[in-house]
Amino acid sequence: MALWVQISAGSGEPIYIQIVEQVGEAIAKGELAAGDRLPAVRKLAAELVVNPNTVARAYGVLEQTGLVTTKTGSGTFVADPKLRSRDATDINILAERMDTLITRGLNLGLDKGDLVNMFKERIKKFARKQRGEKKK
Amino acid sequence: MTETVLETEGLTKYYGRKLALDHMDLKIPRGCICGFVGRNGSGKTTAIKLMLGLLRPTAGASKLLGCDSQQLKPAIRQRVGYVTEGHRLFRWMSIGRLERFQRAFFPKQWDNKFFADMLEYFGLSKKQKIKNLSIGERAQVSLGLALAPHPDVLIMDDPTLGLDAAIRRQFLEGMIELIMREGRTVFFSSHILGDVERVADRILVIDKGVIRADCSVEQFRGVVKKVRTAFEDSVPTQVDIEGLLHVRRGERELQLILVGVDDEKIAEWSASVGAKSHEIVKMNMEDQFIEYTAPPGHQRLFEWEEIIR
Repeated sequence: MALWVQISAGSGEPIYIQIVEQVGEAIAKGELAAGDRLPAVRKLAAELVVNPNTVARAYGVLEQTGLVTTKTGSGTFVADPKLRSRDATDINILAERMDTLITRGLNLGLDKGDLVNMFKERIKKFARKQRGEKKK
Repeated sequence: MTETVLETEGLTKYYGRKLALDHMDLKIPRGCICGFVGRNGSGKTTAIKLMLGLLRPTAGASKLLGCDSQQLKPAIRQRVGYVTEGHRLFRWMSIGRLERFQRAFFPKQWDNKFFADMLEYFGLSKKQKIKNLSIGERAQVSLGLALAPHPDVLIMDDPTLGLDAAIRRQFLEGMIELIMREGRTVFFSSHILGDVERVADRILVIDKGVIRADCSVEQFRGVVKKVRTAFEDSVPTQVDIEGLLHVRRGERELQLILVGVDDEKIAEWSASVGAKSHEIVKMNMEDQFIEYTAPPGHQRLFEWEEIIR
């Protein structure tokens, strides 16, 4: 089942990006583990009521970033974390995004120590969610 | 080799002196799901009727399944499903009578079971009279009638107009089912951009009879951008950036609508005019469409400040 994907036409994000981000989040939170199989393109397309090419495109992007692998004939699977690519440009983009957050934080009057603590706290919460999900 | 299913060349239509369609060039390959969008009176229905040979062009030509639209033979017509705007069906007929009427045009291909299943899915019975149906139910019947002969090409003129949200979604589900079948081509006009974004892989934008965009839905999503730039004191009087569609001015802010400008170029421009900051605002497809087809120098009816005061 693919009940965890919720897309909205009319959002600022294109539909394929919504799918990419939600699958990415499910993997980060451990809701999808390495080796888990993603729903077939046509099945997810019918379920979300979107063009199958849009789903295929999302899966393509996920595959490019190394989050999933496609085995011909048997489907698309969540990739082993060890095999995921750590592309230098992707890491740069991430670093730049952090800059935006740091700017906002400093503008709000927080100091650097506050920001570091906040970040640690959020990661802890995220990981807790991950463990909580796994117990079920 | 991909077969071209729908093709127009310089297709032009005048109603008296009014230009309704201006040199439309189009090539739709087999398997394409094309959403045709434009404001009311922009020429969508005219274009569709010309493609189907229901209107005579003033100039230019169009082909459907390789055959001149003005000379479509029954063998070609049998491969085409057409859903008219407003789902106009014979009001005095029952659904069953209408099915028999329609089936006569597709003697070899009519899928009785498919039509019956569709009625059941929609909760309709063959005994019901068309005149007693709601617009949503009429839409369901006309979709069933168009799909029962399993056409290679389905052409629909604003099929979801006037449908409530639930029935619209059902209708879209039906379209997705159809799309999944190998090699079907769908050409549909719509004024609901969200539907086009969901279902179509290609978007065709028409404005005042002129095709303004013909690209993949994803391209369109990526290419029309809104940028907000903030300035310390006064905003520049001249905005000179390639791809600029229009500008809205605030006291310390400029809002630009840009087409086909990448983010780096935007950042360069923003720095070059001494902006304090700039932000690329994410627009949904409806906003993109409205901005894209807004006439230059378009004024809103009210500015927010006026209302607040």
